[in-house]
Amino acid sequence: MKKFLLGPVGILIGLVVVLGLWVMSAYNGLVSLDQKALSQWAQVENVYQRRADLVPNLVETVKGAAAFEKDTFTAVTEARAKVGQVSLGGGANPAANPEAFAKFQQAQDGLSSALSRLLVVVEKYPELKATQNFRDLQVQLESTENRITVERMRFNEAAQAFNTKRMRFPTVIIANFLGTRYQEKAYFKAQAGAETAPKVQF
Amino acid sequence: MQAQSGTPIPAPPQRWLTDAAGMLSPQVAEQLDARLQAYEQSSGRQVVVYIDKTTGGIPIEDWGVKAFESWRVGRKGLDDGLVMFVMAEDHRVRIEVGYGLEGQVPDAVASRIINDEMVPRLQQGDSDGAVAAAVDRLLAVISGDSGATGGGQVPPPASPPLTWFQKILVGMAILGFLILLITNPSLALYLLFTILSGGRGGGGRGGFSGGGGRSGGGGASGSW
Repeated sequence: MKKFLLGPVGILIGLVVVLGLWVMSAYNGLVSLDQKALSQWAQVENVYQRRADLVPNLVETVKGAAAFEKDTFTAVTEARAKVGQVSLGGGANPAANPEAFAKFQQAQDGLSSALSRLLVVVEKYPELKATQNFRDLQVQLESTENRITVERMRFNEAAQAFNTKRMRFPTVIIANFLGTRYQEKAYFKAQAGAETAPKVQF
Repeated sequence: MQAQSGTPIPAPPQRWLTDAAGMLSPQVAEQLDARLQAYEQSSGRQVVVYIDKTTGGIPIEDWGVKAFESWRVGRKGLDDGLVMFVMAEDHRVRIEVGYGLEGQVPDAVASRIINDEMVPRLQQGDSDGAVAAAVDRLLAVISGDSGATGGGQVPPPASPPLTWFQKILVGMAILGFLILLITNPSLALYLLFTILSGGRGGGGRGGFSGGGGRSGGGGASGSW
């Protein structure tokens, strides 16, 4: 009688322990991938901030030589202000709020196109392009755009690693229990029209 | 991302200077390689020159950041590596700066090295002079010899003297290890071996080997 009872109970305890261990390792795996994506997100915000910090200086420099391109400056300054408003803040979870993520990307893309229009306008002012100050700024801007590409790509990779783990069959059950904290992460998409270079109008 | 076409990222270089395009004269290549090797041995910073023919249509910025990532140039944690890529047939130069050297080699400085030191010489066909001058300027800038900013940044971290508390911890760790050595000698020796081989700081006597550094697209590019 005793044996009959102990048998199923023992098996049950064994199963619970195994299940517990499995939940633990799946959860930990999820957490570490999530942390990687978050730290990569911080890098993305860093490089975008770097670009936003360049803008006032760039506008000032160009203004000196091309004062009557007022519309272009206003567009850049406005786009810059928008970027400041949508910042998700350090350490914010880009996955928890897909709308905020989309807005963030939209504002940043807006600044990208405003800046590229500004650079097109500058083409009309060879004397400005020749100054060391402007050349340095242009180099910094180009490198920063390059950094943005790199960090965005790495964020997408980290997000993909997380999403793959999160959506695989057994782990998906745990992830769903955890609610919004471990939601699927959004990706950066190529900017609409980024493939086509801006047109020069005279 | 765009790495499907174009030249695949080669295996990590064996030397500090690699000239796969035959752009430099052997003496200059050897001399610069020895100089970069000596520089790593004295400062710990990995500065690498990689010359090849083409990236195969991939922008040199994308190619360079991928290569840097896969070669892991610079020390882990410090990220103080730098690679100069020269693509002979593409006529493109790229200086890719590790995260930890962005302070010493800002984008504008990297750009000036390319446009002032390299491009004029390359246009005259003086590849030896171009690469030698660039290495010269880069090492000076990184070491902070140019009188510019950031002299003596990130020296190899010197361990501060142990506090009283840390000494107790170390003692306990040693005691724990001794107990393990008695109860389970093979595991203890295995642990000891992994810990010792993990800290291969002065390694790489023979050739170049990446230290685990990273870069994030900082630096500059140019054409001639």
